Amino acid sequence: MAALPAAPCARTPRARTPPWRRITSLEVLCAVLVLALLAREPLSRMLDVPAVRTGATVFVAVCVQAMPFLVLGVLVSGLIAAFVPPAALNRVLPRTTAAAVPVAGAAGMMLPGCECASVPVSRRLMQQGVPPAAALTFLLAAPAVNPVVLVATAVAFPGQPRMVLARFLGSMATALVMGWLWARFGRSEWIAQRALRRPQRDPSRSAFAVFTDTARHDLVSSGGFLVLGGLTAAVLNVLVPPSWMASLAGQVLLGVLVMALLAVVLALCSEADAFVAASLSAVPLLPRLVFLVVGPAVDVKLVALQTGAFGRGFASRFAPVTFVVAICCAVLTGVLVLGGMR
Amino acid sequence: MRRETQNVLLVLLGGALCKIAWNGSYLNYVKPSLLPFLVSAGVVILALGLISIVRDVRAIWDHADHGDHPEHAGRSPWLLLLPVLAIFLVAPPALGADAVSRSSTVVPKRSSVDFPPLPAGPAPALRMSDFVTRAVWDDAGTLDGRQVRLLGFVVHGDNGATYLGRLVIACCAADATPLKVRLDGRTGLESLPQDGWLEVRGQLVPGSAKSGAHFTPTFTVSDLQPVPAPREPYEF
Repeated sequence: MAALPAAPCARTPRARTPPWRRITSLEVLCAVLVLALLAREPLSRMLDVPAVRTGATVFVAVCVQAMPFLVLGVLVSGLIAAFVPPAALNRVLPRTTAAAVPVAGAAGMMLPGCECASVPVSRRLMQQGVPPAAALTFLLAAPAVNPVVLVATAVAFPGQPRMVLARFLGSMATALVMGWLWARFGRSEWIAQRALRRPQRDPSRSAFAVFTDTARHDLVSSGGFLVLGGLTAAVLNVLVPPSWMASLAGQVLLGVLVMALLAVVLALCSEADAFVAASLSAVPLLPRLVFLVVGPAVDVKLVALQTGAFGRGFASRFAPVTFVVAICCAVLTGVLVLGGMR
Repeated sequence: MRRETQNVLLVLLGGALCKIAWNGSYLNYVKPSLLPFLVSAGVVILALGLISIVRDVRAIWDHADHGDHPEHAGRSPWLLLLPVLAIFLVAPPALGADAVSRSSTVVPKRSSVDFPPLPAGPAPALRMSDFVTRAVWDDAGTLDGRQVRLLGFVVHGDNGATYLGRLVIACCAADATPLKVRLDGRTGLESLPQDGWLEVRGQLVPGSAKSGAHFTPTFTVSDLQPVPAPREPYEF
């Protein structure tokens, strides 16, 4: 909106503009929709390049696939805001943060979703007074160690129950180490203030109104970042050369690094990544375990969601450290559980 | 972005999810078992948007406030428009030949030690994944000398060869892994349209998938039939 020249008596230019003459986002939205409808033909023609078409399909697929899980997350978040008083959460959690971290990790086993669901829930937990270290442990544990993901891993790797155990231990270790690291070194000012501020509750509003409003607000604010993540994943999916995979046969160390990067770049749902890892049968087991542990902890979609929920200052510190910690935990559990560098 | 605009966006997004669930094009993006979750998500998003709109309108009527909700969630919600536009205007098709030639060949996972005999009948229809797994791993030769039917789309390779391709997904199209069978034994294969769906009838060239040729079996075509694209474009 262009700033109007301030008239001598007007406090703000806005107060002088009659409401029906302001251009709001609603009008912009209508204009965009009309334009898109008019430009439909040239737009479709522009997308008729094979690579762009592949990218567009992957983009829509990531969004469509992740949306139900995000919705689950915002509903849980809304329920917590409306029905769980902060005092109840604090009673459940041990008083010291260091002890609260393992409890949060165990609680992560109970949210049967993928990473998109856990971001809004853990932000809500922080707002309800849960220490950030515990909420972040929950954020990392929930998508990786819940029963659905573990069963999917067992199905994808038949006859290799050690893979399931290794994934569970590696992911849990990542979540706990990150929680304790945050408890020791983390600073709450890295997290955007809006993420920690408790929405003031109007006592006249019903619990249902609080529930729907919170869920709606969380959906709008994280949905955009989910789309951004899907877009990044689609572009990289098309751009990453397939020869990366072919060159990994038999190379463990290079494999660990490449598979870790691939997990970040592909941004697969934690319920599907085991099947992809299983299909890369030329790659040794250890790098594939790294892929499974890193993916649910750091990927482009998740970093976008975290940036939206906790701010850029948080994501730029948390994501790289998580990446390194996840690789170390995965390699360590892999060597212990899978028995060496296979 | 204003609250009203956010609500309109949510209604559009929920509508888009319901639309692809309703007309079946969701199968181009995700596996069939995700349908109930997709419908629930669409309905919940629609409901959240509509409830909020109704509440705002009631508030204006009651003069409880002025209906002005400058709720600034930043510009990120605008991105929600992208999937809405993509679904309603472009409706990207299922992945095809481009995705197959883009990813490197994957050796199918060995599913069982002993493969059950093929279904009886002159030319049983096999899933591509079943065919390729048997071609690579089956030492008992259950495919040898048997006519089978396969369903897939045409992929023209860089090397001038023509393949029958199919994609296998575990969850959504982002995790698709390709399957390829090299078509042979017939002239005019190279003039088939890329991405066109075919039902081919023929048999495996024994041992062709065991060698180093990227584990791609060769298939001697005795008959081929262009068919419309199936409702479920992926194998699972």
